[in-house]
Amino acid sequence: MAVESAPLLRLDGVDLGHGRQIVLANLTLDLHAGERVALLGQSGAGKSTLLAALRRRLAGDVAWCPQSHGLVPQLAVYHNIYMGRLERHSALANLWNLIRPERRAWAEIAALCEELGLDGLLRRPVAQLSGGQRQRVAIARALYQQRRLFLGDEPVASVDPHQALRLLALIDERHATSVVALHQRELALSHFDRVWGLRNGRLELDAPTRELDLADLDRLYPAADAPHPTTDVQRRAEAGDA
Amino acid sequence: MRRLFAIALLSCLTVPTASAETFRFTAIPDEDQSRLVERFQKVADYLAGELDVDVEYLPVKSYSAAVSAFRNDQVQLAWFGGLSGVQARRLVPGSQALAQGSEDAAFHSYFIANSATGLEASEEGLPAAIGGHSFTFGAKTSTSGRLMPEFYLRRQFDEAPEELFSRVGFSGDHSRTIALVESGTYDIGAVNFTVWQAAVEEGRVDTDKVKVLWETPAYPDYQWTIRGDVDARFGDGFTARVRQALLDMSDPELLASFPRDAFIPADNDDYTPIEQVGEELGLLR
Amino acid sequence: MRERVPGALRGDSPGLSLARRSLMLVALCLLALPFADLAIIAHDPWAELARMAGGLAWPSWSALVSPLHAIALTVGVALWGTALGVLLGFPLALIFARSRLVRAGCAFVRAIHELFWALLFLQVFGFSAVTALAALAVPYAGIFAKVYAEILEQTPGTAAASLPPGVDRLSRFIYTELPLVWSRLTAYTRYRFECSLRASVLLGFVGLPTLGFHLESAFREGRYHEAGALLWLFYLLIGSIGLWSHRRLVPWLLLASLFVLGPWPQVDGGLLWRFVSQDLWPAPLREGDWSGLIAWFTEIPDLLPAIANTLLLGLMGTVGALLVALLVWPLASRHFGNRPSRFAGKAVLVGLRSTPELMLAFIFLLLLGPSMLPAWLALALHNGALLAFLAARHADNLQPGMPGLTASGRYAYELLPRLYPGLLALLFYRAEVIIRETALLGMLGVATLGFHIDSSFEYLMFDQAFFLLLVTAMINIAVDALARRYRPRDVVMDDPCSR
Repeated sequence: MAVESAPLLRLDGVDLGHGRQIVLANLTLDLHAGERVALLGQSGAGKSTLLAALRRRLAGDVAWCPQSHGLVPQLAVYHNIYMGRLERHSALANLWNLIRPERRAWAEIAALCEELGLDGLLRRPVAQLSGGQRQRVAIARALYQQRRLFLGDEPVASVDPHQALRLLALIDERHATSVVALHQRELALSHFDRVWGLRNGRLELDAPTRELDLADLDRLYPAADAPHPTTDVQRRAEAGDA
Repeated sequence: MRRLFAIALLSCLTVPTASAETFRFTAIPDEDQSRLVERFQKVADYLAGELDVDVEYLPVKSYSAAVSAFRNDQVQLAWFGGLSGVQARRLVPGSQALAQGSEDAAFHSYFIANSATGLEASEEGLPAAIGGHSFTFGAKTSTSGRLMPEFYLRRQFDEAPEELFSRVGFSGDHSRTIALVESGTYDIGAVNFTVWQAAVEEGRVDTDKVKVLWETPAYPDYQWTIRGDVDARFGDGFTARVRQALLDMSDPELLASFPRDAFIPADNDDYTPIEQVGEELGLLR
Repeated sequence: MRERVPGALRGDSPGLSLARRSLMLVALCLLALPFADLAIIAHDPWAELARMAGGLAWPSWSALVSPLHAIALTVGVALWGTALGVLLGFPLALIFARSRLVRAGCAFVRAIHELFWALLFLQVFGFSAVTALAALAVPYAGIFAKVYAEILEQTPGTAAASLPPGVDRLSRFIYTELPLVWSRLTAYTRYRFECSLRASVLLGFVGLPTLGFHLESAFREGRYHEAGALLWLFYLLIGSIGLWSHRRLVPWLLLASLFVLGPWPQVDGGLLWRFVSQDLWPAPLREGDWSGLIAWFTEIPDLLPAIANTLLLGLMGTVGALLVALLVWPLASRHFGNRPSRFAGKAVLVGLRSTPELMLAFIFLLLLGPSMLPAWLALALHNGALLAFLAARHADNLQPGMPGLTASGRYAYELLPRLYPGLLALLFYRAEVIIRETALLGMLGVATLGFHIDSSFEYLMFDQAFFLLLVTAMINIAVDALARRYRPRDVVMDDPCSR
């Protein structure tokens, strides 16, 4: 950890929102290189708004994994992952790649897929995958971007806790710095260096995880008895959050 | 294999455009059109034999299409009606009427009426009682189905047909005029007399249900018209040879396509009356 | 206290607003009816109708001269007309939203019926495949541009938004936009192909030797056995589209049909130039003779009654189509009847929407006599059957929530409420098409704009025809704008074939 070094990004009293509507007012925070940040807060608390702002400001350094996955169901897994580096090839090369996959890209993506448990699915259209598989394709696309920094909007929401750990490990392996929005509080404490907690349009919590316990995190959620994290995951999975 | 296919395709695309100087003709579509191409192919073969050039027949669907084809040099010779011939010769300076059918020097239209109207035939003219009935012409630019009937209607009643009749329609075709009057859809109609006679002879019309009211005075109608530039393109004297070939046509099978007994010479001046009537009615300008 | 039943049509719910709009349309039609000439004047149509029925019942296959060539040409013209329309229309769709000029141009080419385009191109290209292809491709380019643009506009943006920054426009389009809407684009293209098949037959009516060429001659001259055979061929062709227009087969069909489309005419540049620079414009205008131009205007047949008739027939046709569609869609839906009844219902709908309106109109002309009535019935039945077909297809994708309802209950409570918004939206789209088709029925003696356009072409007064075409196009564009203003919004047009 390099807390003392100059931050990668500093927000100082910034208002964030869409158009005129301010979602997060007067936001102040630092993001340091090498830090793994868990972003917590209720649905609608502004997690996505904050991530979008980070993504805008850090543009070229960011591997991005959106909440809605943003996959193209009609295209094969291979092409969806390939999209992570679309800007590094000419339009012609990209067009040709749709007809005939580029050999090097294919090999790299095949290796990536194997690590994510997607082996053998490269040619399959994303439309035919399960929710968890799609989630992993979205992560694979972000990993394929090969950036310093990973920004994920609930990238492990629709996979089981065991797999969530594995995916987070993979993300860590390839990115020095990450900001990941999630709902699983235990995971936030066990796996991340720092927690940003949003509530009522403010950054309510900004502390290293070693200073926090579950009760601190529960305060981010208005209901006194926060639902158990695993049921939370299940409910979201059942709701077809893909 | 693929290359072979491509070559075959290419050759197929390029060949048809090569044959440039084919002599083409057409005929306005107002007679029986069944096996039209087949029948006119025989006329084409006859002309090819007489003229020693390739001759093709181009089928058309309307009077105006025949005139357009003539104007645009897609055909050099055409069997026109009286009015369409005048239209064509006005649009193509130098073109001339060559020959007409022996019937065409004194052609007629029939006014026919459904028997349910109770109208009676007469020698003098149309009965005054036709006013207020419904009426149909044939095609809009047909000489015998539109132009001359309208001329005589206006002369006798001094009124536009739309004012004289309760409804005025354009059936588009002589055969259809007969069918529509026979079924009583229209009370009265105007038809080409040769089409009427043929329909009666072949029993295609029930003369108890529909009958002839009045026959118009004679006027010139159908004719062969040729473009003025054919001598330059097909050789000196070509126009004269075409005329002779038409006049010499004696095979009843060929003549039945028109249907005429024989062709006789004609020239542009024969059609001055038609031109005047056309201008009067605003169909020519 | 008893709760009062609210005023039947008060309130803001979407259902009520739909009902108000429909009733308004019907009321407007009823108000206009007294101005329409709807007399029934027929004495004895049965002999002719019996002959027609006999022809359809005992088609004479041997009378057909070259049916295979006619079919091949019909299909070839439809395929290539559609393909060229796509080639022209797709790039236009990409700039459709941005360019007012493109939108106006597309609205104009769409507003003129294929048959009138054919009459225009005929003057330059003669009776050749070029005329037929241009007559289809030009208006279809406008239609494709509009519909493709609408479909593309509805592309979900999430995939494009998740791309890394710096991706070029083309790559973004082919990876994250095109695949998402591909199925809707192809579904619409297929539907348009079916339309073009019908249009291709219709082009025969002006002289291109497709099936319609022989059909029209045979029908016009009362050779009903031959006409019957041709009509059956046509129904079969339309009914079997699904069998022979497989995705893999289409390229081969395209290639093979090239052989029947020739010979290609040599396009005479002088002819083209003369037509565009002289024939289409009034002589006084070309010569700058203003008083002559006024005289030219006075020669134009009564414009206002023609416009009134066109609009009247269009309105009546639209309302008629709605009523027909409401009545007959259950015939072809899986929610009603049994297997044979559905098959028969589908066949009736295919028959009604494939039979050229002109023929339907002629049959009614015989039955009912010359008035606006035959044209109205023909428009209502043809378009109503088309709407019913789409409504039935929509209904088949619905799952009734309450099993065991009676048929009328199912119709009124389960299905119609869910179908109706889409049906009405379709109808408002269709209004423009119906107006365009009124032009065709002018030949029945109903003095619509189409009647006068046809006359002008017959009298070879192309300047007049062109002027009337411009007027027609303006009216079409106005009607389309009006229909768009009042068509139900927020209806998910999941069936792109609606337009």
